[in-house]
Amino acid sequence: MTVPSGPASAEVPAVRCRSLGVSFGTVQALHDISLDLAAGRIHALVGQNGAGKTTLAKVLGGLQAPDNGTVCIAGNQIPPGDVRAAKSAGLAMVHQHFSLPPSFTVAEALELTAARPESHSVYRRTELYRRWQNEVAEVGGTNVLATRIRDLPVETRQSLEIVRALVSEARILLLDEPTALLTPAATDTLFERLRGLRDDGVTILIVLHKLREVAAVADTVSVLRDGKLVLGPSEISGVSQGQLSDAIVGPAPDTDRAIAVEAATDVEQQLLLELVRVSSRESAFEPGLASIDLTVEAREIVGIAGVEGNGQRSLVSVIAGLSAVTEGSVLLGGEEVTRAPPARRRLRGLRLVPFDRNSEGISRSAPLWLNQSALRLIGRRRQFPLISLRQYKRQASEAMDLWRVRYNTVAQPAESLSGGNVQRLVLSRELASGLEVLVAAQPTRGLDFSATNFVRSSLRGLRDAGAGVLLVSSDLDELFELSDRLLVMYGGSIVARFNAPYDRQAVGDAMTGALR
Amino acid sequence: MEQVLATTLRSAAPLVLVAMAGVFAFRAGIFHLGLEGLMISGAFTTVAIGDATGSVGLGILAAIGVCMTLSAVYWWVIGPLGANVIIAGLGLTSIGLGGTAFALGAIFDIRGSMFTDVVLPRPVRGATSGPGVIISEHSILVWITPLIVLVAWIVLRRSRFGLRLAAVGEYPFAARSAGVNPSIVRLQALLISGALCALGGAELSVGTLRNFTENMTNGRGFIAFVAVIFGAWHPIGAALAGLFFGFADAIGIQSQINITERVPREFVLMIPFVLTIFAVWLGGLWRRRTLEAEAGYAELREPDY
Ligand SMILES: Nc1ncnc2c1ncn2[C@@H]1O[C@H](COP(=O)(O)OP(=O)(O)OP(=O)(O)O)[C@@H](O)[C@H]1O
Ligand SMILES: [Mg+2]
Repeated sequence: MTVPSGPASAEVPAVRCRSLGVSFGTVQALHDISLDLAAGRIHALVGQNGAGKTTLAKVLGGLQAPDNGTVCIAGNQIPPGDVRAAKSAGLAMVHQHFSLPPSFTVAEALELTAARPESHSVYRRTELYRRWQNEVAEVGGTNVLATRIRDLPVETRQSLEIVRALVSEARILLLDEPTALLTPAATDTLFERLRGLRDDGVTILIVLHKLREVAAVADTVSVLRDGKLVLGPSEISGVSQGQLSDAIVGPAPDTDRAIAVEAATDVEQQLLLELVRVSSRESAFEPGLASIDLTVEAREIVGIAGVEGNGQRSLVSVIAGLSAVTEGSVLLGGEEVTRAPPARRRLRGLRLVPFDRNSEGISRSAPLWLNQSALRLIGRRRQFPLISLRQYKRQASEAMDLWRVRYNTVAQPAESLSGGNVQRLVLSRELASGLEVLVAAQPTRGLDFSATNFVRSSLRGLRDAGAGVLLVSSDLDELFELSDRLLVMYGGSIVARFNAPYDRQAVGDAMTGALR
Repeated sequence: MEQVLATTLRSAAPLVLVAMAGVFAFRAGIFHLGLEGLMISGAFTTVAIGDATGSVGLGILAAIGVCMTLSAVYWWVIGPLGANVIIAGLGLTSIGLGGTAFALGAIFDIRGSMFTDVVLPRPVRGATSGPGVIISEHSILVWITPLIVLVAWIVLRRSRFGLRLAAVGEYPFAARSAGVNPSIVRLQALLISGALCALGGAELSVGTLRNFTENMTNGRGFIAFVAVIFGAWHPIGAALAGLFFGFADAIGIQSQINITERVPREFVLMIPFVLTIFAVWLGGLWRRRTLEAEAGYAELREPDY
């Protein structure tokens, strides 16, 4: 086989690891991994949620010391768990979870993580802004420099993480699910950029879930399953899609399970969620809502499309009761809840899958069972004040097993779960009984494909059982596949309403504001 | 009036110095309740060594050495040994208060107060009335304090070291992925903090007064810690808070002199503390919005020390 252009393909591998093993308690996250990544190529790494992809990337980047085994970067062995050594060997990493301190301004965060050695140890603010203005131009203009990280939308934070890794002029780039938060257009731009870097001789390891994206960008692919390397790195041209998904799922494939959730809707009630001329104040990066009218009825999935930052976030937080309504009213099941606190809305059957699962969806330091039971505890307001821990823990583990959360014990903190498993935890809590209306913001973000299918069939199952679903997504295919009706948001208002079958062109035009 | 302002500056200087120590620790993610213990150790060492050598400079150097050593021990206990930060901090305070009282008896055979001839130089002196009183009779440390605040601001808010320190305190994972070793940065912050506590203690014992008295810090370490929180762990904010608490203290002292016939003494002594509580409450109201916004992110702290 002829190897595609790549100046350094015959030399030492850019990354070589031998018999790496990592375990957390009784969980063997990585098991005897030996892997060579040829220089100047794009290597994809795939696998189910909890397969060990992030752990492998962290070991290579020096953030996690392996229990055994060695890592060589460009021929030099790296001391285990030494970030600096990995960095000075030319390796940079984009994390699945955010790695920038929330209270830092963008300029400060870049200075912390990507500063060049020649800069002084004391700086002036204007100097920082000048130094970083070119780098951030593409992620939201130079005025973003003085913004704090916590005020940025997740998508912008993600782009910033990528910018941060790219400015360091690394020779080896590790990207852990960089596309999970990107729009399709932004994904294409990123892939274009990665190809450019590869042609300059940079070696790239990218963790992906969508096989379409693997085919689009990668030269080779490797598959992790249960902490073992089961395939590759093999040339992408030599592996069929079927072989790849077999390798990912393994010998006992997930059969399409039916969702066991019974929705609590009484059949008479038709209008489950209603927004009447609702307006809200703008936030740092989003317009507020401008007189929005919206209904979700029983037995329907209403899709919300739109380019990120056109008010979707405001919409979700207004419905959840997390930001104030300046005008208009919100009704749940016919009852006015415009000023009701979130817990009241929960009791009215509202369930929520938030945009940022790590800061809004779970308490990272709390144990799994407590995270899982939070809703049941809210519901207990007027009941007997004592609870049975045993029962709560058992219910939590049953719900998590249904969603195939990979965990060790119900007492472990939620932050020890892999990214996709956190999402499953949130879903296992929100998609439980008592649900009447579900507001799902990017529910399949970061899930492997069998879990993605499971979520989609669950949403359909909920609808068929009588619930109403408001689905906010940046994945048009997902919206087209699931939505009974589709609304397009632009600049804080709903600018177009569509019914199936959808016209991709028309929806796309509406999203860019062409209909205005 | 002039007298109140002059007293304010003198009362505030040790508070501000120790508050700076607290800011360094707080930004590195350490809830430092050992400030009081370090401060009194600094006060004692300055007097003891200063008196023995006859040199106030040597006394202060020794105090800095002792406080940095104690800080290193504190770091070792909460870091590598993994003890609870708050408990260990309170332990440090008890050791400081008890240890200095014990040493006073054991080494010098004194109970209560030890007087000394060494004193910090006072650049401006002699005014007895008019605005000159405000700046007169202050020790050199009072004069240097604003400079120290300025340097603290530059280090914390305008230097790469300050960024690393803040990253360690806020989100250790961010620091680690930037190639910073959180444990080392915490040690550095605690050492700086120790040195500043030594200066605060020295100002207390040989700045205004010329003695060391058992328990002479009298809760100032904790008030300085409150100033850190009240000042939103910003060096300037904490310094202003320290100044304010110094002012409350000065009012207390002044009214003690002027109005003790009509108002019960205990009530007058309460004034600084009531003002402090009131100020902290106000500060809390004022910052509630940001705290709420940050609530979700507080979770990002890794329990890794
Ligand atoms: N700090 C930790 N403590 C305990 N278990 C952990 C810890 N970190 C990871 N694990 C476990 O190790 C396994 C592998 O996790 P990892 O994050 O590498 O998965 P992943 O392949 O990246 O999955 P995802 O696609 O969901 O991101 C999981 O079962 C996870 O629960
Ligand atoms: Mg992962």
